[in-house]
Amino acid sequence: MQKARIIVGLGSCGIASGGRKVYEQLQQGIASRGLDLTLEETGCIGMCYNEVLVDVVIAAGTTTYKQVTPEMADRILDEHIVEGRIIQEWTVTEEDEKCLNRQQRIVLRNCGKISPESIDEYIEQGGYRAIERVAKEMSPEMVIDEITRSGLRGRGGAGFPTGVKWGFANKSAGDKKYFICNADEGDPGAFMDRSVLEGDPHSVIEGMLIGGYAIGANHGYIYVRAEYPLAIKRLKIAIEQAKARGFIGQNIFESGFSFELEIKEGAGAFVCGEETALIASIEGSRGMPRLRPPFPAISGLYGKPTNINNVETLANIPWIIFNGAGKYASFGTEKSKGTKVFALAGKIQRGGLVEVPMGMSLREVIFDIGGGTSGKHEFKAVQLGGPSGGCIPSSLLDTPVDYDSISQTGAIMGSGGMVVMDNTTCMVDIARFFLNFTQNESCGKCTFCRIGTRRMLEILERIVAGKGVDGDIELLEELAENIRRTSLCGLGQTAPNPVLTTLKYFRDEYEAHIKQRRCSAKACKELISFAIIDERCKGCGLCIKVCPTGAITGEKKKLHVLDADKCVRCGQCVAKCRLEAIIRVDRW
Amino acid sequence: MVKVTIDTQEYMVDESGTILDAARSNGIDIPTLCHDEQLEPFGSCWLCVVEVEGERRPLVPACATKIREGMVITTKSELILNARRLCLELLLSDHYGDCLPPCQAACPAGVRVKDYIDLIRDGKYQEAVEVIKENNPLPAVCGRVCVRPCELACRRNLVDEPVAIDFLKRFVADLEMGDSLQSTVYSPQSMDGKRVALVGAGPASLSCAYYLAGMGYGCTIFEALPEAGGMLRYGIPEYRLPKDVLDKEIASICGHGVEIRCNTALGRDFSIDSLMNDGFEAVFVGIGAHGSYRLGVDNDGSDGVLSAVDFLRDMGLNKEIKLKGRVAVIGGGNSAIDAARTSLRLGADEVMLVYRRSRAEMPANEIEINEAEHEGIKYHFLTAPVRVIAENNRVQGIECIKMELGEPDASGRRAPVPVQGSEFTIDVETVIAAIGQFPETACLAGEQDVQLGRGKTIVVANNMAVGRAGVFAAGDAVSGASTAIEAIAGGKRAALAIDQYLRGEVSSEKLLKEFNVSKGSLDEVDRGEFEGIEKQARVKMPELEITERLKGFDEVELGLSQTDASLEADRCLKCGCNAVDKCYLRSYGIEYGVSLDKFKDGKVHHYLIDNSNPAILRDPNKCIRCGRCVRICLEIKGIGALGFVNRGFETTIEPTFGKPLAETGCDSCGKCAASCPTGALEFSQV
Repeated sequence: MQKARIIVGLGSCGIASGGRKVYEQLQQGIASRGLDLTLEETGCIGMCYNEVLVDVVIAAGTTTYKQVTPEMADRILDEHIVEGRIIQEWTVTEEDEKCLNRQQRIVLRNCGKISPESIDEYIEQGGYRAIERVAKEMSPEMVIDEITRSGLRGRGGAGFPTGVKWGFANKSAGDKKYFICNADEGDPGAFMDRSVLEGDPHSVIEGMLIGGYAIGANHGYIYVRAEYPLAIKRLKIAIEQAKARGFIGQNIFESGFSFELEIKEGAGAFVCGEETALIASIEGSRGMPRLRPPFPAISGLYGKPTNINNVETLANIPWIIFNGAGKYASFGTEKSKGTKVFALAGKIQRGGLVEVPMGMSLREVIFDIGGGTSGKHEFKAVQLGGPSGGCIPSSLLDTPVDYDSISQTGAIMGSGGMVVMDNTTCMVDIARFFLNFTQNESCGKCTFCRIGTRRMLEILERIVAGKGVDGDIELLEELAENIRRTSLCGLGQTAPNPVLTTLKYFRDEYEAHIKQRRCSAKACKELISFAIIDERCKGCGLCIKVCPTGAITGEKKKLHVLDADKCVRCGQCVAKCRLEAIIRVDRW
Repeated sequence: MVKVTIDTQEYMVDESGTILDAARSNGIDIPTLCHDEQLEPFGSCWLCVVEVEGERRPLVPACATKIREGMVITTKSELILNARRLCLELLLSDHYGDCLPPCQAACPAGVRVKDYIDLIRDGKYQEAVEVIKENNPLPAVCGRVCVRPCELACRRNLVDEPVAIDFLKRFVADLEMGDSLQSTVYSPQSMDGKRVALVGAGPASLSCAYYLAGMGYGCTIFEALPEAGGMLRYGIPEYRLPKDVLDKEIASICGHGVEIRCNTALGRDFSIDSLMNDGFEAVFVGIGAHGSYRLGVDNDGSDGVLSAVDFLRDMGLNKEIKLKGRVAVIGGGNSAIDAARTSLRLGADEVMLVYRRSRAEMPANEIEINEAEHEGIKYHFLTAPVRVIAENNRVQGIECIKMELGEPDASGRRAPVPVQGSEFTIDVETVIAAIGQFPETACLAGEQDVQLGRGKTIVVANNMAVGRAGVFAAGDAVSGASTAIEAIAGGKRAALAIDQYLRGEVSSEKLLKEFNVSKGSLDEVDRGEFEGIEKQARVKMPELEITERLKGFDEVELGLSQTDASLEADRCLKCGCNAVDKCYLRSYGIEYGVSLDKFKDGKVHHYLIDNSNPAILRDPNKCIRCGRCVRICLEIKGIGALGFVNRGFETTIEPTFGKPLAETGCDSCGKCAASCPTGALEFSQV
C-alpha cells in the first residue's frame, strides 16, 4: 500500500498566505507523532483565495483543506491521518470544486498537482514524451505544421500565430539561432507565468526544446525577472534535472539535436517584455526597443535569427504535440484556439488563476468561476490586458474571451490580467493608475511615449484633484491618438488604452469630475468629504481611535462629530465603523 | 531604382534607401530631429511621420521605413501636420532654456541687446549702433529716456545688479552722433515711387518712416506742432533729453529720405482721403495721446490747476512759465515726476507729489523717483485729492484724504481705499494733474472705418491695420499713454505690415512676437546657475551736482566714459542660446506654428549645466533625447562617453556613470555637438 501523502501549496500565493509555517508545523507534527507519511510541496492550483491549500492523499482518496493555518495542522494530522476522519468544515466547498471543474486546464495541467521540484512527477504525467516523439519521429517542418494547425497564438499579448513565427525562424538562414522564453511578466495584477514557472517548470523547458528543434536553435535563454526568486530557483533545479537526464545537452534522444539552456535574470524593467528590448537586455545593453523590421526571426540576439515565445505559449507546446493539434483546436473559437489562463484580481470573490477555453464569456469567467465581486458593491468594469489593455463595462460582460472580440471592445487580451472593479472604483482614477505605470516604465526613446504619457498623466491628476478644465478631455484624446500612432513599440502604442476605453465607456465620470467636481465612486479624495449619520452612530469611539488627525471627537455613547477641516479623508474611520455610520459624500 | 509616388508625383528612387532618403533626393523636405545621415535610423523623435497607402499603421517614420516599389507616400496631411506639431509641442514642453537673451525678449522692439553689448566690449562701436538700429532708430533718445524693461529682465539681477544696458546704448549712440563714428551708409532700393504718409512726428511715426524709407518707400510725416518729436519733445523735459540730441537723431532719420512737414494738422489741413488723393498709397496714424484727464474734483478748473501734458508742452514750445510758491503734482507716473522736477527748476519753493498708492506701486521708473527725491521733491504716498480749495477761482490749496491698500484690482495692483475722517489740507499755489492721458481723436472725427476702443484708443488688428484698407496705426494712439520703446516697436511693426500691404502680400507671422522659449521670469529661473558668478558692481552714471541741476535745464546724466563702458559691457552674462540660429527644434517650432503654452502647467526638468569640458558645453535642459550624441560617440567614435539613463519622463542622457563629461573617455572631438539638433551640446564659446 502506498504511503499517505500531505501536499502543501507552496507557490508564491501559498507562501504569502503562510504556507511555510503550515509546512513546518506539519513537519513537526509528523515527527512528534512518528507518522509514516510523505510531506510534499506543490505549486499553485489557482485557488489563491483559498491558500494555504493542503491536500491529504490517503488510500480512501484525496481531500483538499483550504485556508489552513499552522494551528489547524495538528487537528488535520490527528483526525484525518490518525483517525481517518475528514474534517468536513475545513475542506474546499463544492462551489470551489465546481469552479475548478468549469475550467479547461492545459497550461495549468500539472500546477498544484505535482511537485515542481521533481522531474519524476513531471515524467509520470507524460513529461518529456513530447520532445522524445519530436526528436525521434518528427522533422522540424512537421513540428511547425502541427503547431500551426493547432491554431495556437502567442499568449504574451499580441496573439501572433506561433507556428507561423517558428516557420519564419526556421527558414531564416544562419549558422547560429536562439530560442528565447519571455518570462518577463510585468503587468500589474498578472501572475500566470510566475505560477506556471513555480508550479510546472519542466513544461516550459520541454516547450523550449521542441521549439528549438523546430527552428534549428541550439541555444536557449529564459529571460525571467529577478523579482521571481522562487520561479528562478525552481527553474534552476528543473534545468539541472533535465540536464542530468539528458533532455538538455548534446544529442538529445540520440536524434543529433543538441540544446543548451541558460537563465537570464532581468532587472525588472517592464519594457523588457518587448522582444527587441529583451534582446538588447540579454546583450547587456539598455532595454530599449528598436525598429522592426528586421524582425528577430531574421536578426535577433547578437544579430542571429531568434525566436521568442512567452511562458504560457510554451507550456502549451508539449500538450499539443502529445495530444495532437486537432484536440487542441477543438477548444476555443474559430480564430482563437485552445485555452487562456487569466489572473483574476481586484474586487473579486475568488481571486486566483483560471484557465478556460477561448470563447467563454467574461460573465462566466468573472461570475460563474470567480464568484462575482468580493463585497456588497456592484460590478462596474473589468480591466483586461493590464496597463496596455482597457476597461470593459458591465454592458459588455457577454463578450467572449477571444483575441478579436476583446480587441473590439478597445481592450486587449494581453497576457491575461483581469482586474475586477466595483462601483467604489473611480474610472478616471483607474486610468490614472495604469497610465502612471506605463509612463514610469516607458524606455524614454519615443517623444510621444516619454513626454506625451506624462502630460496625459498630469491632466488625469488634475482631473481627479478636481482641477480639470474645459478642453482636458479633448486634449487627452488628442494625445492618446497620437501616442498610439507614433510610438515604436507596444508599450507606447497601447499606453493610452486605459484612458481611451474609460473615456469610451465612462465619459460621464470624466465630465462630472471636471464640470461638477464630483466623483460618482466617491473615491477621489479631493472631491469627497466624510459625514457621520446621526441615527446610526452609537458613540463607540472606534473611529476616534483610528483617526490620525483627531478630526473626530465625541464622548463615549454620545454622537460623534467630524471636523471636515481636520479630516484628511484617509477613509480609515469608514473602514473601521461597524455600523456604516460614516459615509463619503460629495465635497462640492 | 524603384518607382514611388510622393505627394501624387511619381519618382524613380534608389531602392536601398528609406522614405526620407527618397524624399530628400527629390527636394521634398521631411522634418527630423533624431536622424543623422552618418548613423543608422533610430526612430525616436517621430517628427518625420508620413502616411503610406496600405500600411497597417496610419503614420510611419520616414527615416526608418525602407522604400518599396509602388509605395504611395503622403508627406503632408492634416493628420501628419497635427502629429508633427504635437511632437514639437511635447518636446518644447520639457525644454528649459532661453532662445533669446531675456533682455532682448523683454524689449518691445526686440533689440539685440546681447549682440551690441558684445560689440561694445570688443570696441566695435559702429557695428554696435548698426545692430541697435536694426530695431530702434532712436538709440540716443532711448539711451536717455527708456524705461528699460531689458534691465528688469536682466539675469544679472540674480547675481548683483542688472547690466547698465541703457547707459551702454547711449554711450555708442552719442559716439555716433558726435561724428566720431561714420554714420551708416544708406542706399535704399526703389519701391517704384510708392509713397506713405505718416500723421504725427512722434517716435512711432519716426520709427515707421525710418524702416519704410529703408525699404525704399517715399515717406512724408505731417506734424501739427511746430517741431517734430511728439512727446519726446513736448512731454520729456530738456534735462532728461536735450533738444539737440533729439534734433540730431530726427535729422539722421530725415537723412534717410524722410520728409517732415510741421504745423500741418489732420482734420484741419488734410484728411486721410486727401492724402490718398494726393497719391499716398498708405497712411500711418501716429497721433499719440496728448489729451489728459482732469482731476474730477471740485474746483479742478480753477486758475493754477494745470495738466502735466499742457505744462510740459508749453515748456517744449519755449513759452515763458513762472511758478512760485508751492506746487502739488498729482499722479505717480513718469509725467508726474517730469512735471515735478520741471517745477522745481522753474523756481517753485516747494514741490510735492501726491500719489494714492504707495511707492512700490508707482508706475514711474525707480531711477526717476529716486532722482526726484534727491532733488528735493516731497512725496505724499497713500494720499488722494478730495477737492481743490480755491478763492476767487484761484488755487489756495488742496484737501486730501489718506488711503490704505485693499484687495488687488483688475490691474493686479492693490486698490487704494479712503480712510474715513483722515482728511487734511495742503496749501499750494499750483496743482498739476498727471493722472492719465488719452489720444486726442477729434482730428479723426470725419474719418470712416477708424474705430475707437477703450480710452479713445484706435483699434487695430494684429498687423496694426485699421479698419480702412491701407491705413495703419501704432504708438500711444493705439496703446494709450505708453513708452517710447513701445511706440518705436509699434512703428516698426507697422512698417513691415505696410510693406506687405503695398506688395499685395497677406500679413505674415513675421509681425507676431518672435518665437522664444524662456526659462521664465527672475522668480522662476534656477538660482543655482548664478551662484558661482563673481559679483561686480554696476557702473555709476556720472551726474550733474544737485545744485547745478536746479539752476536750469542742463542734462543731468553725463554719459559713460569708454573705460566704464568696456567694464560694464564685460558684466553681460551672455544669456540666450548659442544655438538659436541652428536649432532645429526652434526652426521647426516656428514652421509648424507650435503653441508654447499648451502644456504650460506640466513638469519641466531642471538639470545642472556641465561645463567641465573646455571644448563642449553640455546643457541637458535643452536635450530632446534623440540619442544622436550617444550613437555617434559609440558607433562612430567607439568611445561611448554618453548614454541613456533612467526611464519614462525621467529618461535623460548623461556621461558615463553620471560623471562630468571631462572625466569620461570623451576626447573632445565635437562630433556630438556638431550633430546635436538643439543647443544641448554646443562648442564652448571662447
